[in-house]
Amino acid sequence: MRSIDIHAHTFTRSMFAALDAGRDWYGMRYEGEGRRNIAVKAGKSVGINPKLRFTPEQRLADMDQLGTEVQVVSLHTQVFGYHLEPAAGLAQAQEVNDDIAAFVKEAPHRFAGMATLPMQDVAAAIGELERAVNTLGLKGAELDTVVNGRNWDEPEFLPLFQAAAAMGAVLFFHPQPQHNVMQERTNRLAMPNCIGVPLEDTLLVATLIFGGVLEKCPDLKVCVAHGGGPACFGMGRLDRGWQVRAEARVNISKPPSAYKRQLYYDTVVMSETALRFLIDSVGIDRVVLGSDYPFVPWEPSPAGWVQGLESLTQEEKDRILWKNLEELLGV
Amino acid sequence: MRSIDIHAHLTPQCFWRATENGGDWHTLRREQDSRGRQLALVGDRRGGLPPKARWTPEERMADMDSLGVDVHVLSPYSGFYNYQLPAEVAIATARDSNDEIAQMVKSWPDRFAGLGTLPMQDVPAAVAELERIMSAGFKGAMINDQVNGKLLDEPEFMPFWKAAEQAGALILFHQGDGTIVDFRIDRYHLPNTIGNLADRAVTFSSLVLGGVMDACPDLKICLSHGGGYTCYGIGRVDRGWRGLPDSPTKPAQPPSAYLRRFYYDCIVYTEESLRFLIDAVGADRVLFGTDWPYDMVFDWPVSWLLSLESLSQEEKELILWKNLENLLDL
Repeated sequence: MRSIDIHAHTFTRSMFAALDAGRDWYGMRYEGEGRRNIAVKAGKSVGINPKLRFTPEQRLADMDQLGTEVQVVSLHTQVFGYHLEPAAGLAQAQEVNDDIAAFVKEAPHRFAGMATLPMQDVAAAIGELERAVNTLGLKGAELDTVVNGRNWDEPEFLPLFQAAAAMGAVLFFHPQPQHNVMQERTNRLAMPNCIGVPLEDTLLVATLIFGGVLEKCPDLKVCVAHGGGPACFGMGRLDRGWQVRAEARVNISKPPSAYKRQLYYDTVVMSETALRFLIDSVGIDRVVLGSDYPFVPWEPSPAGWVQGLESLTQEEKDRILWKNLEELLGV
Repeated sequence: MRSIDIHAHLTPQCFWRATENGGDWHTLRREQDSRGRQLALVGDRRGGLPPKARWTPEERMADMDSLGVDVHVLSPYSGFYNYQLPAEVAIATARDSNDEIAQMVKSWPDRFAGLGTLPMQDVPAAVAELERIMSAGFKGAMINDQVNGKLLDEPEFMPFWKAAEQAGALILFHQGDGTIVDFRIDRYHLPNTIGNLADRAVTFSSLVLGGVMDACPDLKICLSHGGGYTCYGIGRVDRGWRGLPDSPTKPAQPPSAYLRRFYYDCIVYTEESLRFLIDAVGADRVLFGTDWPYDMVFDWPVSWLLSLESLSQEEKELILWKNLENLLDL
């Protein structure tokens, strides 16, 4: 049985090489004792899960334990460099993408890779996506749910979506786990991660739909992390808003729910009932395995969790575990 | 067969009368935009009011008759929370609004019950007003998900929760003055269509993880708009609870164990989402609500609910009236 995991985080070798040598890595450096935290920028600190230091060999051994055949690895969004000067942002993206491509080459049947793009400069981002896909062999790019406070419906981003669609590149959207919109209200009670993350995913789904991106780019391949948050559960209210408010109809000719099947959604929804709802809502051909490696302790493993679900047929499980991603990514 | 609507707002006639000829209602004013729409001016904010917001009780009851709704549990227009205004203004507008609701309930006891509004920026005043209206036969009060940016598990609100529990008041949560989505995007009506649902999930987490539900075991809470993203996203909140450091207020049970401590209205718009909500919290926890008289209201809500094939007749009756009859003694 195959299993392909589209949601697997990593840091990169060159990042640790710089930090371990006591150098800055694009403005980031260790803070505190024991090389356990990185100060990314003012007010933003990131913890380092030990598995994010794994060599390809160590990671493969862990994947064997988990029963994951293929991981599509992408840079942990917490060290994304959208806030950097454009030249530094491009340099960071190139370095990361070279590293991820080299990581994939260590075991090309077990790894695929997603690029990182310097979204503060859309033209540079398009150029780097082309290099990543056509030269480095990566499958597409991972993107944050917001770019320096700007949403993805801004016209400046449309050329990236058109270029990605033309290349057949997959865009995987993943928010900041701690530093997201929830901070505007509170940092307490784990809310940025527990509510802020799925809220970011939902805002991303809504922005791509209402902004007309999916209408303008019908062939665009997009996967949203965490099952798109509760976007599909709350789709009825989005449809009602479209029906009664002119400002909701400026970019789209059909109700928002008509576009939901243009997206892919991973399985990181944290309950069987939510996954069943998602499948019934978007169709079994639109749901793909994600693990959020290494952060979620799946019981017994990411693929094992899916295999154990009683409300899914074996054909549905096969679709989620590998068939859909095999088609989408060509792995 | 009855139907009792827990989510039906009132823009009080005292506001319309006071502002009729350019006058003010405790500093609130009114104007008309170029398309003839009525706008309420509250501090430095403007809020649009639909034509039905001006209707008299008699006009409202005629509309209820056409919709097949027997009882409105009235709650004030959320644009008049007035938490951001001086406390004396909020105290005055709350008293006026609540007195008008009391009069409507007294005049038509078979058609109306009352939820009041409270000056939450002044907790002692809010407690006093809650106690005043509960003595006058109200069923509870409607409040915002946050009070000038503060969530309701902050220690300063504990006297309010104790008073609500003591009085047996039902507290209905409903956004006002924007939502968390306003911090990100103001397009496509998303501050309402996503923000309302996100704010309700924040309120659930705040009350459960902040220890309010443990401190007040008899508290009665209804989360409007079906509790928003609460029940669908509960798995991730459970995981977050496991990782929280120990503290005196951290609950012993996971948040999902508290889903049935709350009530939820049925305003989720699709049969699939309503079915999911019922399966998550139980049919005895879901209450009929419509959001009358705003544009996001359910069209033909009673007919819609009765038409759903995935609900049993008993579930429909629990939602339409039995749950609220028991909860509010109606």
